Amino acid sequence: MASLISCPHCGTRPKEEFSIRGDASVLRPDPEASDEAWNDYVHIRANPRGRYREHWQHVAGCRRWLVVERDTMTHEVYSVTDGAVAAREAAR
Amino acid sequence: MTAYRLSAGGLVDRTNRMDFKFDGRTMSGLSGDTLASALLANDQLLVGRSFKYHRPRGIVTAGPSEPNALVTIGQGSRSDPNTKATVAELYAGLDARSQNRWPSLKHDVGALNNLLSPFLSAGFYYKTFMWPAAFWEKVYEPIIRRAAGLGRAVLERDPETYEKVWAHCDLLVVGAGPTGLMAARTAGRAGLRVILADEDFRPGGSLLSETVEIDGMPAPAFAETLLAELRSLPNVTIMPRTTVFGWYDDNVFGAVERVQKHVAQPQAKLPVERLWRIVAKRALLATGAEERPLVFGGNDRPGVMMASAVSTYANRFGVASGKSVAIFTNGGTGYRTAADLAAQGIEIAVIIDSRADADDVAPTGTRVIRSGSVTDTKGKHRVSGIVVERSGFEDTIACDAVAMSGGWNPVIHLACQRGAKAVWSPELNSFLAPDVGNGLAVAGAAAGIYSLAACLSDGAGKAAAIIADLGFSAVSDVLPSVSGEIDPSFTALWYAPGAKAKAFVDFQNDVHVKDLGLALREGFGHVEHAKRYTTNGMATDQGKLSGINATGLLAAMQGISPADVGTTTFRPFYTPVAFGALAGTSRDEHAAPVRKSPLYNWAQKNGAVFVDSGLWYRPAWFARDGERTWRQSTDREVLNVRQNVGICDVSTLGKIEIFGRDAAEFLNRLYCNAFLKLPVGKARYGLMLREDGMVYDDGTTSRLSSEHFFMTTTTALAGGVMSHMEYCAQVLWPDLKVRFCSSTDQWAQMAIAGPKARHVVQALVEDDVSDAAFPFLAAQAVTLKGGLKGRLFRISFSGELAYELAVPAWFGEAVADAAMEEGRAHGICAYGLEALNVLRLEKGHVTHAEFDGRVTPDDAGFGRMVSAQKSDFIGKRLSTRYGLTAADRMQMVGLKPVEADKTFRAGAHLLREGAKPSTLNDQGYVSSAGFSPTLGHDIALAFLKSGRERYGERVVVWDKLGGTETVAEVCHPVFVDPGNAKLNS
Amino acid sequence: MSKTYISRHPLESRIPADPGIRAVDHLEVPQRVAIATVMAAEGGDAFVAAALAAAGDLSLRFVAPGEWLALSQLDTPEILQRNLSLLLAEAAHIVDQSDGRVLLRLSGPNVRRILAKGIATDLHPNVFEVGTSSNVLCGHISVNLARTGENEFEVIVMRSFAESLFDDLKTMGREFDLSVGFST
Repeated sequence: MASLISCPHCGTRPKEEFSIRGDASVLRPDPEASDEAWNDYVHIRANPRGRYREHWQHVAGCRRWLVVERDTMTHEVYSVTDGAVAAREAAR
Repeated sequence: MTAYRLSAGGLVDRTNRMDFKFDGRTMSGLSGDTLASALLANDQLLVGRSFKYHRPRGIVTAGPSEPNALVTIGQGSRSDPNTKATVAELYAGLDARSQNRWPSLKHDVGALNNLLSPFLSAGFYYKTFMWPAAFWEKVYEPIIRRAAGLGRAVLERDPETYEKVWAHCDLLVVGAGPTGLMAARTAGRAGLRVILADEDFRPGGSLLSETVEIDGMPAPAFAETLLAELRSLPNVTIMPRTTVFGWYDDNVFGAVERVQKHVAQPQAKLPVERLWRIVAKRALLATGAEERPLVFGGNDRPGVMMASAVSTYANRFGVASGKSVAIFTNGGTGYRTAADLAAQGIEIAVIIDSRADADDVAPTGTRVIRSGSVTDTKGKHRVSGIVVERSGFEDTIACDAVAMSGGWNPVIHLACQRGAKAVWSPELNSFLAPDVGNGLAVAGAAAGIYSLAACLSDGAGKAAAIIADLGFSAVSDVLPSVSGEIDPSFTALWYAPGAKAKAFVDFQNDVHVKDLGLALREGFGHVEHAKRYTTNGMATDQGKLSGINATGLLAAMQGISPADVGTTTFRPFYTPVAFGALAGTSRDEHAAPVRKSPLYNWAQKNGAVFVDSGLWYRPAWFARDGERTWRQSTDREVLNVRQNVGICDVSTLGKIEIFGRDAAEFLNRLYCNAFLKLPVGKARYGLMLREDGMVYDDGTTSRLSSEHFFMTTTTALAGGVMSHMEYCAQVLWPDLKVRFCSSTDQWAQMAIAGPKARHVVQALVEDDVSDAAFPFLAAQAVTLKGGLKGRLFRISFSGELAYELAVPAWFGEAVADAAMEEGRAHGICAYGLEALNVLRLEKGHVTHAEFDGRVTPDDAGFGRMVSAQKSDFIGKRLSTRYGLTAADRMQMVGLKPVEADKTFRAGAHLLREGAKPSTLNDQGYVSSAGFSPTLGHDIALAFLKSGRERYGERVVVWDKLGGTETVAEVCHPVFVDPGNAKLNS
Repeated sequence: MSKTYISRHPLESRIPADPGIRAVDHLEVPQRVAIATVMAAEGGDAFVAAALAAAGDLSLRFVAPGEWLALSQLDTPEILQRNLSLLLAEAAHIVDQSDGRVLLRLSGPNVRRILAKGIATDLHPNVFEVGTSSNVLCGHISVNLARTGENEFEVIVMRSFAESLFDDLKTMGREFDLSVGFST
């Protein structure tokens, strides 16, 4: 019937306003990185039960990419962060 | 006549009589009745036949757990099958029919199944109809379905309207009985936003059936006092006729409101049902408790009812369920019903109490049999007596109704719907709600608190805790005083010993005790297995009465605690919800939004036939007088563009304005080809790859100033490309100084193509559009004659001399009209998607038919576009992997039929001449095909292994679906004007 | 040859010329509103927000961090574009959306109940205060919603979706006899 995501820019919204891309923990490798690194980045994904960090885009709202940390079993949402903020942190 | 309307009393309006029909017979009821209470008042006890054995069945309950009294209400497309008579609000003109009987309720041929019942035990269908396999679908299943059908689904279109609504509150109280009303009052007084929902048409819950006094008032009057106060509070919303059916993630509740199910003719402006999604900071379950049936021999005979239902019919509806009522009980509730009947002057035949001793007091002069058991019932279509056994002595006692009470089951469904398991309480002999955290609390009888005074106190207390938790402050409150309560405690009795007839557990699905025993013996003793094996709890009532009894019986048979058996899984919906309510207004033309181009009206008045293209409606072709097929129109449009000039709506292409110091760098990383040095005033064709090296989308991007670019995408991937760019800018390269937004809707864009295109464009635009001043791939802001600002692009999908002119959308129709006017002398025509597709096919231009996700730039002939200089771009790294550079990859080629009258279809596969069709022999496939009016025969674009080395070779185009094999010659994919003379003219 | 082109409102075919009786709940459609997307250049969010807020004759709608819709009921799209360029210069990128968006104004005692049929956001005045705006999903369509009064909201929708949204709003308002008309 509904699930709610708290967009840090727009407030609490139903999941219908979002689209999900998947694993947010993978980082795009350097262009010169190994075949394995690129294969992992493009093709290999874990399918965890439990805590998971995903990229969700608030397509019907601010259109920002967000990192949603949630439990894949219970759908408990632990945190929602703007994607650019998360990316800058990860790059550090 | 046995059941009848009492001469006075009840919450029905005796001045407001309502005629209704049951199985064609006109009957009379009162305002305030349910269909069930009105049927009882008319002594219509037999209301249906059971699912499997077609046994006669009567009304059992006075609420939503009713297993038997399922009727079809309404006529024609407005009929609702499987409606519970016990919750259907009576209205004048209501037309109800019984179900699952043929030819009539009283004489039912299917009742033969009852005689065959020894052969119809649990698992019977699985065992008997296993062989031969083919018989299942063709013979057995249709017969079983016809015999076992419930109400029939209506095949006509549902004429009713539905809608969906969101609601928000601090506290949702589910159930407006004593607990819920007190909770709502406490929370409402403290200023919380409260929603109080109740499935009944009249809020009040058990208070409406109570005979006790509260604060010196009759219970229903007390309920009315609370409701009056709640109605006066602007922060409280009372929702009667609203079933909260589900508890979902993040404390969102699903509820369905029956807005107009109780009227003969619904108002058009209101929905018949409304689906609510209630976002609640906190919720309180005040759903009360369900009385547990007793499992005894012959307990399904019409006239055997729940004791609380007998009380409710007497007290709330002023209806006697019988003239002489026997009561079979294991606790205090049976004595309460006895008191109610005595007060109404209804005879009590006997009270059979399964307990050896108890403090409960029976009305004076009533015969009480302690340590007794009912072993069988007598009567055909309704009970005429019961067989009672005590200490080996048997007695038959005449009666015309039996009130049974097996104790209470708290209604905890919602609390268990998100995975938490119900918890067995040995003290209360009941399953209680698990602790599910802060969002949802349980109060009153739903929490196993059965005394009315304690319920009132618990509702107020639980609400006070929530108030404090949400940071509000509670207003001090004096609790109401209750007088005349009985003690409803009970001793568990899962099975009345000595049954001489079938003792039913699930009335609707005809599951009796022996079926559960069989399931256990055959290894299906786990509660979930037993459910599937016996179908216990799988009927439309979802085991509201039978579920806990099945658990108790499975436990008793194994000598273990019900805690070790557990319950089956609780899932939404609590009671059935119509598909119409779930769909809301999203049906027919509202199922998905329609996007309209700013040139829609222009296309329409020029004779366009539209086609769905995603959410857009786009012109497919423009039919003229005398043209009978789409091909005639399309061929004419194609030839006219090649010979004269045509105009086509391309407004639906995605348009993105890109700004910033790093805009060029951003595009350079996004596209596989180079964009850094694109000059201002120029457009460039760009290919975007996916990270795996396959082509994602293509389009042109123009540089309007050094830090302002204008990108177009394909119509299909406009949204996808935008999201992809946002991902790249925000997540991959957050430090690039680039900003962009869609301007798709701002511009009406028209392609004007053909040898005479320049005449038309020059007539509209002030700026010089000659080849010298405005060569191929020029892109500039222009001024239309009269001063309107637009943008002009010298780009061509058709291969002709062509321009794309963009003007502000609201002016689009007027400018397109002017283009038609200016072009008339040059023979202009409007052309649609079909002609556009043929034109690009003749020119060898690609679409997503070619770029289907398996194609690299080199496959499509764009290998040299891919920049080797750029250090990085999306898709670069994986483009170089072995499989994507292999020499035998399929490459795009053209195909011409060797015999000119042969045709091609997209999807056909390519074979070497003489080769058998097989995966191993597959040489490629046709991606696009069509008739070229310019060349006079079919042409196709195809992907063929090492195709570019094979021009001139013959291949077989094998179309299994069409059943054709055509010999074709492989050729260069550009069929028309390979030297681009037309393009550059 | 000089031409004067006629501009057509995207809802022209949907809204009757004769406005009829105006109900208490009303959907009003202004004939022309100048609308522009304003995107702050990198790092300029605060400056742009302050400058826009200080410009009194503009209405501002929040879209995303550093992105707004700026509205003018009085100016033409060209003048709005020019004024914004003067005001913000290099600090922001401006895109005219006057033809790409349609503004609809809902007012009346039941507007919240009407909007709740399509919008999941809590519109209680203590939660979604007067002056608040945000992109939200209304049914299947993404719109920008702004509360312009206790009982007044403005909805901005992409032009191509305007007819569908208009039809949806009429359906949502049917219960309250919602009337519709162009601004007069």
